[in-house]
Amino acid sequence: MDTTQLLKGVLDLACLAALRDEDGYGYDILRRLRTAGLTEVGDASVYGTLRRLFNAGLLTTYVVPSDEGPHRKYYALNPAGRAELQRSGKVWHGFASTMDDLLRERETA
Amino acid sequence: MITTAQDEINLYVFAVRAALGDLPESLRDELLEDLPEHLAEVAADGEGSLTDRLGSPEAYAADLRMSAGFVGGFPDPPGRTDQFKEMRDVALARLRVADVRLGPLFGAERASEFLVQLRPAWWVLRGYLAAMVLAWMLDDSGQPIGLLPRIGGSEAVALLLLAAGVLGSIWLGRRSVRLAHWPQMALYAGSVVLVLVALGGFLSADSSSRGAPYADVNYDNSNPYGNVEDLFVYDEQGRLVNNARIFDQNGSPLRLGNSYCYDESGNYTEVETLTYPYCAERDPFRVPGASAGTEAGERSGAPGTNGPGPVPPLTDRSGVSPSVSPSASASPSPSATSPSVSPSTR
Repeated sequence: MDTTQLLKGVLDLACLAALRDEDGYGYDILRRLRTAGLTEVGDASVYGTLRRLFNAGLLTTYVVPSDEGPHRKYYALNPAGRAELQRSGKVWHGFASTMDDLLRERETA
Repeated sequence: MITTAQDEINLYVFAVRAALGDLPESLRDELLEDLPEHLAEVAADGEGSLTDRLGSPEAYAADLRMSAGFVGGFPDPPGRTDQFKEMRDVALARLRVADVRLGPLFGAERASEFLVQLRPAWWVLRGYLAAMVLAWMLDDSGQPIGLLPRIGGSEAVALLLLAAGVLGSIWLGRRSVRLAHWPQMALYAGSVVLVLVALGGFLSADSSSRGAPYADVNYDNSNPYGNVEDLFVYDEQGRLVNNARIFDQNGSPLRLGNSYCYDESGNYTEVETLTYPYCAERDPFRVPGASAGTEAGERSGAPGTNGPGPVPPLTDRSGVSPSVSPSASASPSPSATSPSVSPSTR
């Protein structure tokens, strides 16, 4: 199965989760996702998703000037974002366990 | 080409922006406002060009559009092509429904199945049309071509051409499914042109077969009645028959002349009924100045007219039809005194 197809459905949740413990800038968040194992996630997808979550009112941003490079725009979860993370997380768990059950039945059948 | 890292980033951003050219300017600016800084991070972290690591700018733009385009504050206004596609999809869906609904009418599950069965018939028709068009282009004999693809009026050529056209069309039709895209498109386009030409030909054939009784009268210069403007009918006594109707052997009304009048003061009036004469006051044998009920009328038997003279025998070449061509009439002059009452009345 193509994981890029799966990623499309869960990238919002993945980005929210990557920001749960620590704020981050775009490239930073991409690295976190890849380190966590989502190696196929695309740069443009993360960039676009962050823009969209921000526009949906789930993230706040602030700019941190950097001495050696360009300034960095940090993203942070706001309360709405945390609520969305929790809600979507539940949906995901329900979905994932349904899929698990389904696959287990198929294997034993 | 030597470029600095910043140049490379700018070029990449520029290409992404171009690939998103259909989005509104403000939306695009907002979407791309952080992209240079972001790409600078990417470029600073690792080797290789941006294109090597991120893919083409176009692919990047497509990913961006997909992930950013749908929700919250990013209304994605449908472009023209989207609207067109939508209309096409709706139309196709309706067609499919109609296809299934009409199926039983043709005793099939879908109407299109029946149409597919009709295909060979279309091939034959197409062959005929192609032969006709070819004959029409090649024929320079000036004769009317008729309904067969005659070249120079030759039936043999017509049948040969017809056979070749039909066989060729069937051969093409059986191969068309396996043709590559462009030859197939060319075949379809050719067929469409043929159908249009055929429609034109059909319409002109139809109108010429409907208009045949009249067309020659009005337009053919070799027709002896070509310059007839009006028709005056006289009975045996030389009395003008008003509101006469004339028919051919099939009972079709004959139409001659121009159905309008200029009266003496030059006023134009349309004549609306197909009765002759159109303009009774232009009676060529009328006595000038005579009015109804005068002595002139008593003498000739008809008010205001003196008639065309004695009824000539049919063998008299010069006077076959005095009413149609009065100028060639045997009567030497429409004189007021010429006896016009035939003895064989009653």
